[in-house]
Amino acid sequence: MSEKALHIEALFKRYETGVEALRGVSLEIEPGELFGLLGPNGAGKSTLIHCTAGLAQPTSGTIRVFGHDATGDYGAARQAVGLAPQEPNLDWFLTVEETLDYHAGYFGMPKRERRERTAELLETFSLTEKRDERTRTLSGGMKRRLILARAMMHRPRLLILDEPTAGVDVELRLELWHYVQRINQEGTTILLTTHYLEEAEQLCDRIAFIAEGVIVGEGTSAELAARYGVASLEDAYLALVGRKELSRSHIEEPVL
Amino acid sequence: MSTAQIRFATLWRREVNRFMKIKKQTIGAPLLETFLYISVFGAALGSRVGELHGIDYVVFVIPGLIMMSFSINSFANNSSSILQQKFQGAIQDQLSSPASPLELLLAFSFGGFTRGLLVAILTFIAASLLVDLPVDHIAVLIPALFLVGFFFSQLGVLIGVRAEQFDDVAFAQTFVLQPLIFLGGVFYSATLLPEPFQTLTHFNPLFYMINLVRYGFVGFSEVSVALSLLALTAATAALFAVNLRLFSRGYRLRA
Repeated sequence: MSEKALHIEALFKRYETGVEALRGVSLEIEPGELFGLLGPNGAGKSTLIHCTAGLAQPTSGTIRVFGHDATGDYGAARQAVGLAPQEPNLDWFLTVEETLDYHAGYFGMPKRERRERTAELLETFSLTEKRDERTRTLSGGMKRRLILARAMMHRPRLLILDEPTAGVDVELRLELWHYVQRINQEGTTILLTTHYLEEAEQLCDRIAFIAEGVIVGEGTSAELAARYGVASLEDAYLALVGRKELSRSHIEEPVL
Repeated sequence: MSTAQIRFATLWRREVNRFMKIKKQTIGAPLLETFLYISVFGAALGSRVGELHGIDYVVFVIPGLIMMSFSINSFANNSSSILQQKFQGAIQDQLSSPASPLELLLAFSFGGFTRGLLVAILTFIAASLLVDLPVDHIAVLIPALFLVGFFFSQLGVLIGVRAEQFDDVAFAQTFVLQPLIFLGGVFYSATLLPEPFQTLTHFNPLFYMINLVRYGFVGFSEVSVALSLLALTAATAALFAVNLRLFSRGYRLRA
């Protein structure tokens, strides 16, 4: 059996508050895949990501990143993961350059390599001019770019993007899409969560729907639409969340 | 350097870099404060007090001031740094790295320790320029100061991890730490106090720390030096064990 980029089995997560965010999630992502995780707010997307990146502790179940157990062999598992979180969690005291440099240092990258990689990613994400500015002075779009650059600093094999395009303008969204596709073509496996169905359809090889802590559907966008007996991914999603009446397919039907 | 060494050095460097970027507040202010204490209690009041246990009053006070700056700065640095990073969410960057709980705990601890040590050394240098400060028992002074610094670094980490708002950190410092230090005998000898305050002072752990450091400098202690060193070592080890357990469990750091 080939090694999965991400292998999650029977994952449960109950928070101290008693909230059950994940109720037996199983999921497999192949190396090189661009995988989309879709679901309404509060469905468990971020919890699943946090458990994978070591920011939350699973109540039970297993997570393996390229064969490394995320709990038992957390060092190797986390080394393989790059996380660009939903909320820009930047340190206000640091400059743009320091943000990237420290991150790579936390992952054990030697100084010379850090410097080269920093310069390379600053250039890729059009941040070179801002390198000496403190992160708090950056615009929302710049922060998004910096977070993505930071996640890529240590060359993770699995890049996790938690709603990378939430609240960004059209231009930056398209720019980010290009980056994501390019990184994926270069061999990085990507797990992407998004609210934008169009984004998932456009970018992702396979998609999973998550609702109330359970994976309720998985496949290509065409397979999902077929499973729910609807015309599009959006309608499949609406069927999942029980809001079929919102379907835009009706609007396009001729009114007689 | 190995991967683990680079990781640890970076975690530590981040903590040092944070306080160095705001050094007016983190280094300058504590130095000024200590200088004011020396001026008021040493120069102005000292001439009226004369000697305490045969020691010039200003010399009697300075060891306590050095210990006070080491402890408060170690504590304040770590509690603020951790809470601030939790608040911004920035701490996730370290938490999602391959760093072990022990590495994270030590790096956060050493940040405050470094700041405390820096302020203590600068205070020592400044005090040595102002008065003739002896160093009688360096073999007690060095371990005592290091234990005090490490103890308060650990305490700062504990409060920072536990805290949910800035008020929690300020409360611990203003309403617990400061009174314990002031009432621990930085500025006076416990023998001068009426009962029951003299006996109560012996229940204050800071009293023993101040006496240890004072013994290192001027060779005078109101309590057993060996016993105090032993107790301080045990307390520091216990606190470290508690923190390590909290970090391993991810207490208030990992959901």
